[in-house]
Amino acid sequence: MRDLSLHILDLAENSVRAGASLLVVSIEEDPVQDRLTIVVEDNGSGLAVTPESATDPFYTTKKGKRVGLGLALFKGTVEQAGGRLVIDRSEHGGVAVKAEMQLRHIDRNPLGDLAATLSSVVCTNPGLDICCRLSVGEVKRVIQVSQVARQLPENARHSLAVARRVSEEINAALTELRATA
Amino acid sequence: MSKRITSPQELLRLKDTFKSETELRGEPKAIQVIVHMGTCGIAAGAREILDQLMNLLIEQQIDTVTLRQTGCIGLCDQEPMFTIKDASGQETLYGKLNESKLRRIVREHILDGKPVTEFVVNV
Repeated sequence: MRDLSLHILDLAENSVRAGASLLVVSIEEDPVQDRLTIVVEDNGSGLAVTPESATDPFYTTKKGKRVGLGLALFKGTVEQAGGRLVIDRSEHGGVAVKAEMQLRHIDRNPLGDLAATLSSVVCTNPGLDICCRLSVGEVKRVIQVSQVARQLPENARHSLAVARRVSEEINAALTELRATA
Repeated sequence: MSKRITSPQELLRLKDTFKSETELRGEPKAIQVIVHMGTCGIAAGAREILDQLMNLLIEQQIDTVTLRQTGCIGLCDQEPMFTIKDASGQETLYGKLNESKLRRIVREHILDGKPVTEFVVNV
């Protein structure tokens, strides 16, 4: 995976497969503490195995497969940037995957195109509500897909229009946060 | 602060409102394009393919397509892939996608109803 937003997309796919109707993605950049924290959590069916098994590349719960690389690759990406990955139960009822890494670590992957990641989840999963919490330092922004959809005219509230608007709002929020912080 | 829900009836009305909103966003169309978004698909460029497809559908004002996602189907060497399911239920699996293949599939399969056999993955 070239960047962190692709790992977030992979985690979102896990949430969809776990039957989630809510996905919460939090990204916190703390330049003072030199820390980047990414949390992806859902209200899906939860983790059926131990966190150790979930990050083992040769363990999978899918029938007909011998490897499960998603979480193992993300763990490797996080650890190469001096960080750690914690898998826990979410307060929303499903799984919470928390990745903490050094923001300015030379081997940290870039965040990548977060807007493209979330808009692709929005347009392919109309029954899923997504809450995206972004913060840089003390400045915070929250983008909730159901609210974005409600702001569109009723006859233009189809998946593609909602996905495009979500993408615009995330890009605008990231630009504003980085300029302000 | 949000308004407090005071009765079960109010909760049911709220549920119906949200349900109709999500149904409106996801109403089924004549053609479904199901993008394979497993770890292998994402690493091979499935998000970029989906993004390009979304742009093509918007640019060409094609409103007969519903987009969906699925996971890995075990053909990782063929990623990025998607399946097109037409109104009759016929499924066509396309693999090793790139932007030029995507443009042809949109023009010939989605608009003209003729599968592009040279890009089809035979399982």
